[in-house]
Amino acid sequence: MTTTDLKRRNRRTAITALTVMGCMVGLSFAFVPLYTLICQVTGLGGTPQISNGEERTLSTEEITVRFDANVDRRLAWSFEPVEKSITLKLGETGIASYTATNESYEPITGISTFNVTPLKAAQYFTKIECFCFTEQTLEPGQTVDMPVTFYVDPALLEDELAEEVRTITLSYTFYRTLDDVEDDETDTISTRETKPILKLSAAALGGS
Amino acid sequence: MTRTQAEGRDSVNRIFAFLTGWALTLMATASASAQEMSEGVSDGMRTPSFPVPWQLNLQYPVTPIAEDLYWFHTYLLWITTAITAVVLLLLIWVALKYNSKANPVPSKNSHNTLLEIVWTALPVLILVAIAVPSYRILYDMDRIEDPELTIKVIGNQWYWTYEFPDYEIEFDSLPLTDDEIDYAAGQHRLLEVDTPLVLPINTDIRILFTATDVLHAWTIPAFGVKLDNVPGRTNETWTRILTTGKYYGQCSELCGIDHSYMPIVVHAVSKEEFEGWRADQLAVNSTQPDDLNRLAALPQE
Amino acid sequence: MYTTATHAHDDHHAPTGIKRWLYSTNHKDIGTMYLIFAVVAGLVGGGLSLLIRMELGEPGVQVFNELSESPKQFYNVVVTAHALLMVFFVVMPALIGGFGNWMVPMMIGAPDMAFPRMNNISFWLMPPALILLILSSVMGQGAGTGWTLYPPLSGLAGQPDMSVDFAILALHVAGASSILGATNFITTILNMRAPGMTMHKMPLFVWATLITAILLLLAMPVLAGALTMLLADRNFGTAFFDPRGGGDPLLWQHLFWFFGHPEVYIMILPAFGIVSHIVSTFSRKPVFGYLGMAYAMASIGVVGFAVWAHHMYTVGMGVNYRAYFVAVTMAIAVPTGVKIFSWIATMWGGSIQFKTPMLWAIGFIFLFTVGGVTGVVLANAGMDVAMHDTYYVVAHFHYVLSLGAIFGIFAGFYYWFDKMTGKSYPEWAGQLHFYTTFIGVNVLFFPQHFLGLAGMPRRYIDYPDIFAEWNLVSTYGAYISVASSVFFLIATVIVMTSGKKSVANPWGEGATTLEWMVPSPAPFHTFEEQPDLTSGNPVAQPAE
Repeated sequence: MTTTDLKRRNRRTAITALTVMGCMVGLSFAFVPLYTLICQVTGLGGTPQISNGEERTLSTEEITVRFDANVDRRLAWSFEPVEKSITLKLGETGIASYTATNESYEPITGISTFNVTPLKAAQYFTKIECFCFTEQTLEPGQTVDMPVTFYVDPALLEDELAEEVRTITLSYTFYRTLDDVEDDETDTISTRETKPILKLSAAALGGS
Repeated sequence: MTRTQAEGRDSVNRIFAFLTGWALTLMATASASAQEMSEGVSDGMRTPSFPVPWQLNLQYPVTPIAEDLYWFHTYLLWITTAITAVVLLLLIWVALKYNSKANPVPSKNSHNTLLEIVWTALPVLILVAIAVPSYRILYDMDRIEDPELTIKVIGNQWYWTYEFPDYEIEFDSLPLTDDEIDYAAGQHRLLEVDTPLVLPINTDIRILFTATDVLHAWTIPAFGVKLDNVPGRTNETWTRILTTGKYYGQCSELCGIDHSYMPIVVHAVSKEEFEGWRADQLAVNSTQPDDLNRLAALPQE
Repeated sequence: MYTTATHAHDDHHAPTGIKRWLYSTNHKDIGTMYLIFAVVAGLVGGGLSLLIRMELGEPGVQVFNELSESPKQFYNVVVTAHALLMVFFVVMPALIGGFGNWMVPMMIGAPDMAFPRMNNISFWLMPPALILLILSSVMGQGAGTGWTLYPPLSGLAGQPDMSVDFAILALHVAGASSILGATNFITTILNMRAPGMTMHKMPLFVWATLITAILLLLAMPVLAGALTMLLADRNFGTAFFDPRGGGDPLLWQHLFWFFGHPEVYIMILPAFGIVSHIVSTFSRKPVFGYLGMAYAMASIGVVGFAVWAHHMYTVGMGVNYRAYFVAVTMAIAVPTGVKIFSWIATMWGGSIQFKTPMLWAIGFIFLFTVGGVTGVVLANAGMDVAMHDTYYVVAHFHYVLSLGAIFGIFAGFYYWFDKMTGKSYPEWAGQLHFYTTFIGVNVLFFPQHFLGLAGMPRRYIDYPDIFAEWNLVSTYGAYISVASSVFFLIATVIVMTSGKKSVANPWGEGATTLEWMVPSPAPFHTFEEQPDLTSGNPVAQPAE
């Protein structure tokens, strides 16, 4: 093998290797939408299903759905479920609602995250309509009703792992949206300290 | 300076404590396992679920899951000790038998297909023997029969908030500083809070977990419960406490400066006592300080 | 007989003084620089661990009160820096950059690495990365996030000042260095082997380096991507991990551990390779089950990409996912077991000489077994509920890394010391270092299993008094280990300056790889003509 041959082969191997590396960087970014997709399809992390209008059967078994509400400390809203829980038949459409009130003196935009527990029940909890992940802007003092319609798929009863579940908790957390925080100069979540952490005093250098 | 800092300087005492303490623990563990075999773990005759000096093993379990874990760990310990012992004995054997003095001419063998198959297959069998009980416990932990009581645990930097969503009870559980600890009353430094969580025994309890700022993890080792508190997300598990007592835990996910200073205390009481406590709480709750006071009460670095 | 290439015309090509090192394209010089770099970073990282153990020697906050106005934050910073230093700036540079650069070209009969100038930049990216990391710890409030950098704690709300940004940049630069190094190793090993050295005749250390390089190439870019997202979240208003913009903090954990788990095999596989050579050399026997050993490493590498979420059993993950990760994680015990038993079988029937490198290798085998079985315990998602984030985990990963990877580094150091320096290390000094370290690290880490079982969480600056006893024992273990390391450093400096001259092959007929056919120290240009293995191993015939 001549030197030029070797050089060409080396270059080809290195380019292949660096291409693989580029693909892996790409994959790490591709994982961001992929992760969301996996959550939606498999219910990973308690992500509920979204209704596609398909036929569903009605069961005689009843299930209780509890409603849980959380508000991030940096969001001056009150946010609560109207009912703590409702009991309905599997397959039956349930309607519940939350109320949110802007308790500050300025308009604020909020956004919610949500999930269902037990996690294994998420793939049977289907939302027909809800306010999740849609940004909501509330004027000072404004109160809005936020309805959620959903049903619990009777297929739950056929799942050996989840058939004992008779209570599902639907949980929302409201945050102030990032864009809104940035527009608002009064919100200072980051007080950037500059004092160095190391005590460089003589005592520290001499002491134990 | 705390009581223990003074103690810490006294190394002689410590070495003495090492010998006596370890011996006592070994005896206690031995007698405990004997008792376990004859009476079962959950007979209520246990010392409080709290580690002792020189503790070697898990804390005493007080829930069905924790009992399973305790048993499973002992089972694993036998297997892992046996594996380690076999490797050690083989190493000692080759060191004695095949050192250059005892065996000046090395053999040249470098293959033995049968042997290679055996030491691939044998670990697989051992792993299966581990996996069977492991999966049983894992799926048992996940099986949530409809619990009677729901609590919600909220992690904050650096204290816990507890909610009983069905009873409109909500309170913060702030850590006690070293100066507030009453050693005479048997309190433990870094483990006490101003308002412990009170839970009834022999009740299936659903626990919901969430956090307001960063990740935390709420755990009570004696319950076999540990789950992350993730902001913007709710997790769920369950427990059933079998023995009354005071149980401790500590935040188990790095959450910043005061990560070491947000203990968890649970008082497990009889159902009747719990009902009494609940009635008191409902009365207190109407006069609870508002959120501004709560912020002012935040522990400062 | 193959002789070497210390001729005048070679010396002519070798630059001297600062230029020799700064502009070095020679794999041995770069390997030496990597080793020196790892020692320097190891002194810092080891110093930090001593601080941690001194603090934890008794309850209360003592040592860190002296060091910082904000001792609790500084403790978290030190814990973080200790981990990052040991992983990225000690173990990886020593095993891959140091021994890999020194030995891989010689072992495969290549004149140098495929891309010598790329090799130079790989090394010279490391010091700036180290400086960035140290800066991140001492300016501002420091990065007190743990090496896992979990958001939201690593986000702006958790660590507002720029320390975390510096830590991210440090990892970016170190990662770039690793990726370039990995590309270089893969190219060298695939294309530049001597005639007759087929893949199935490659020394196991070369196999280990090849697999490690592939793991680096696949895992490191994922970390780079995730770090870039975190950096953007902190500085450019994106929300990959922030629910306020539709992100999810758990996404970080998936990305991080997709990198992080292969990373632990990146740290241990080269040590596997080194131990195989040493066990074979000092038993005067060929490696037992060579192919099984090579493919065990390959399968550990492959499966290592499918187990990441076993670090996340308690985040709230569906039970079926946990069940899957339990199965795959436990499966890794099988190839690992094959390696342990093959090493013992290599010794079986041998004529073993218990020289210093062999002692370290045997220590490695036993301690890695201990760390391995606790790994099997932790693999059980149910059991992990009791262990997660306790000192049991700390004990486990220090057994496999501190007592595994580090023992592998010392084994390799003593094995190749003569070859690298031309000096002979006195047996008594090496053995004293081994025995004191062996005792020290076991006293240090074994009690941590008990602390973990009793429920002591990790990353705690202060703990309930009930845990004081075992912590004190552990701290005494740290003092023994530190004393041992100080002895090692002094002894090494003395031996390197005034040690006895060594020979080409100090270990005798058991040492059969190509590096033993050249004199010690290995000359600047290894081979006058490329060795030819088509008619057997040239080293197998008695040298000199």
